[in-house]
Amino acid sequence: MTAQQAPEEEAESPFSGDRAPLPPRWDLVTAAVLLAFGLGVIALAWNMPTFVEQSQTGLTAPGIVPGFHATVISLLAIVLGLRAVRRGALRAQSAPASHARTDASRLLIAAVLGTVYAGVLVGRLPFWMASALFVFAFTAIFEWELGPKGRPRRLVEAALIGLGTGLAVMLVFERIFLVRLP
Amino acid sequence: MTDPISMLGAGFAHVLQGGAIFHALWAVLIGIVVGALPGLTATMGVALLTTLTFSMGPNVAMLVLVCVYVGAIYGGSRSAILLNIPGTPASAASTLDGYPLARQGLAGRAMGISTLGSWLGTLFGTMILALFAPSFGEFALQFGSYEMFWVALFGIVIAGSLSGGDPLKGYIAGFLGLLVATVGQEANHAYPRFAFGNTDLAGGLGLLPVLVGVFGVAEVLNSMRGPAVKAVSSKMDSVIPHIRDVTQYWRTILRSGGLGTFIGAMPGLGEDIAAWTSYAAAKRASAEKEKFGKGSVEGLMAAETGESACVPGAIIPVLTLAVPGSAPAAVLMAAMMIHGLNPGPMLAITAPEFIYQIVAMLIIADMVKLVYGLVLVRPLLWVLLIPRARLMPIVFVLCTVGAFAITSRLFDIWVMLGAGLVGFILRELRFSMAPLVLGIVLGDLLDKNLLRGLTLSGGDLTPFFTRPISAVLCALTIFAALWSVPGLMGRLLAPFRRRPAPG
Repeated sequence: MTAQQAPEEEAESPFSGDRAPLPPRWDLVTAAVLLAFGLGVIALAWNMPTFVEQSQTGLTAPGIVPGFHATVISLLAIVLGLRAVRRGALRAQSAPASHARTDASRLLIAAVLGTVYAGVLVGRLPFWMASALFVFAFTAIFEWELGPKGRPRRLVEAALIGLGTGLAVMLVFERIFLVRLP
Repeated sequence: MTDPISMLGAGFAHVLQGGAIFHALWAVLIGIVVGALPGLTATMGVALLTTLTFSMGPNVAMLVLVCVYVGAIYGGSRSAILLNIPGTPASAASTLDGYPLARQGLAGRAMGISTLGSWLGTLFGTMILALFAPSFGEFALQFGSYEMFWVALFGIVIAGSLSGGDPLKGYIAGFLGLLVATVGQEANHAYPRFAFGNTDLAGGLGLLPVLVGVFGVAEVLNSMRGPAVKAVSSKMDSVIPHIRDVTQYWRTILRSGGLGTFIGAMPGLGEDIAAWTSYAAAKRASAEKEKFGKGSVEGLMAAETGESACVPGAIIPVLTLAVPGSAPAAVLMAAMMIHGLNPGPMLAITAPEFIYQIVAMLIIADMVKLVYGLVLVRPLLWVLLIPRARLMPIVFVLCTVGAFAITSRLFDIWVMLGAGLVGFILRELRFSMAPLVLGIVLGDLLDKNLLRGLTLSGGDLTPFFTRPISAVLCALTIFAALWSVPGLMGRLLAPFRRRPAPG
C-alpha cells in the first residue's frame, strides 16, 4: 500500500479532498452516531420473531443476519471512537477553514433544490415542467454569482436549457426508449 | 460446438446481429463523454444508462452497458491529461504524467498513449477473461451455500481493507451496505425486516435507486462544492501513437495488463486501485524512474493499461460468482439481473455461451473506443468546457428518471435522495464507497446463503468451517481481516524473518 500511496499524495484532483485527514473529533462524533445506530438496530433485530417452531432452530430467525451486521458495526464504531480519542479527539480543535462556509452554502442550495425537485415537484407537476423549472432554477442560482454582466443572457439560456431538458428527456425516454416517467 | 473458438465465433455472431455496431457506436461515445466530464463517473454512467435499456433485449442491453463501462473508464483520461482533473477516480494516476506531457505541448501524444494503453489493457483483460472465466465458472459450480456465504464476506473484507483509505472505515462502510440490503422481506419466513408497517419498505430498498443515489446524487452535490474547472490546454499535436511505444514498453504493458486484470477480479477493488498499482509497479521496475511524475510515457501507459485491463477483470467474478469486481461492475451485475441473466456459478450450466458473448461485447467496445480515441479530439475538448452549473441539474434529472423507471414508484425517488445524502455524508467523513456498494450488492447473497446453509444443516454451523473450499475461504477472510490491523502482521511474522547478517 505504501507504494500506492506515494504517487497518490502528489496528484491534484477533485478527489484529493477525500484523502485529506479529518480532525479526530469528527471521527469521535461519527463513532458515537454509528454506535447508537448499531445498538438501535440490534434492539430491533432482537425483537423480531424467531420462528423456532417452524424451523426447529433459532439460527434462521429473521433478526440473526441484521443483528450480526449491527453488532459488527457497533464493535467497529467502538474501535473508531477509541482510536479517535487516542489521536486527540478530546483536545482543543483548530477552527475550520474559511472557504468551508462558501462550500457549505453551495452544498445546501444544491441539496435543497434537489430535494424540492425530486421530493415535492415530481409527482405533482408534469415531469417535463418540473424538470424544466428545476434545471432553470439550479443554473440561474449557481450562475448568479458570476456577476451582473451578461446576467440577462445567462438567465435566458438557463430557461432554454431547462425547457430543452424537460422536453428532450420526455421525448428520449418516453417515446424512443419507452421508459415510464414520474 | 463446445470448443472455445467456435463458442467465441458464435458469441460474435450473436452479438453482432440487429444493429449492434450502431448501439456500440453511440454507447461508447456516451461512455467517453460521461467519463471525460469531471463529476460523472463510470458507475453513474452505467447506472443511468441501465434505465435506457429496459425496453431493449438482454443482448443489446448488455452490449450498451459494457460499451458505456469501457468508454467511461477510458474517457476519464481526457480530463486527466487536459485539465489535470481525473474524469473518473480511475484516471487519477493518469494525471501524474498525462498533465505534465500536455503542459510540454504534447497533449496529443499523451492522448495517443492513453488511447493505445487503454486499448491494449482492455484487450489483454478480455483475453484473460476468455481464457479463465469458463474454467473458473465450472470450478465455482462446486460452491454451495456455505461457500457463497464466505465469498460474500471475503468480498466485503477485501474491499474494506484494500479499496483505499482507512480499512476500519472500509469495514464499517461494507457492513452498513450489508445492513441496507437486509431491509424488506427475508427469504425464509417472508418477515418484513425494518418495514415499520410500510408496504414500500417491506418490498426492500431497490438496488438501482440506492446506487443512483450514492453515485449520482452524491456526485452532483460533491461537484457543486469546489472551485470551477480550470482552462484546457489549447495546443494539440498528433494523437497517432507510435509503434515504438509498444515495442519499447511491452514489459510495462504486459505487467500492467496482468496487474489490472487481477485487481479487477478481486471483489470491490476497482479501476482506481488497478491504475495506482500498475503505476507504482511500473515506476519500481522502470529504468527511467526520474521521469515519473514529470511526463513519463511509460507511467501514463502503465496507468491507462492497468485501469482498462481492470474492466474485463472486474467482470470475471460477476460471471462466475455473482460478486462484482468493481463499483461499475456491481451496477452491470444489477442490470444483468434486471434483464433476467442470472450471473453466478449456474451460468456455466444455464448459459455458458453468455461468457463468450460478453467477450465479444468487450472486444467490440474496445475497437470502437480505439477509433473514437484517435478521431474525436476537438469535440471532446468542447465537452470538457460545459459549465457544471448547467450540466449537473441535467444529471440530477437523469438520476431521478433512473431511480423511478425500474418499478415506477415515487418511493424509489425518496430512496435515491436518502441514499444520495447519506452517501455524500459518508464520503465527507472519509468512508470509501466501494465497500458500501459491494455490501449493498452482496447483502442479499450473504443473507440468503447463510440462512439456506443453516436450514440445510438444521442449524449446524460446522459445515461453514469444515467443508474444504469453505475452510479455505474462511481462512482467507480471517487472513485479509488480520492483514489490515496495523502492526499485527509484522508482529506475527517477526519470528519467521531472518535477521540481517552482521557487517
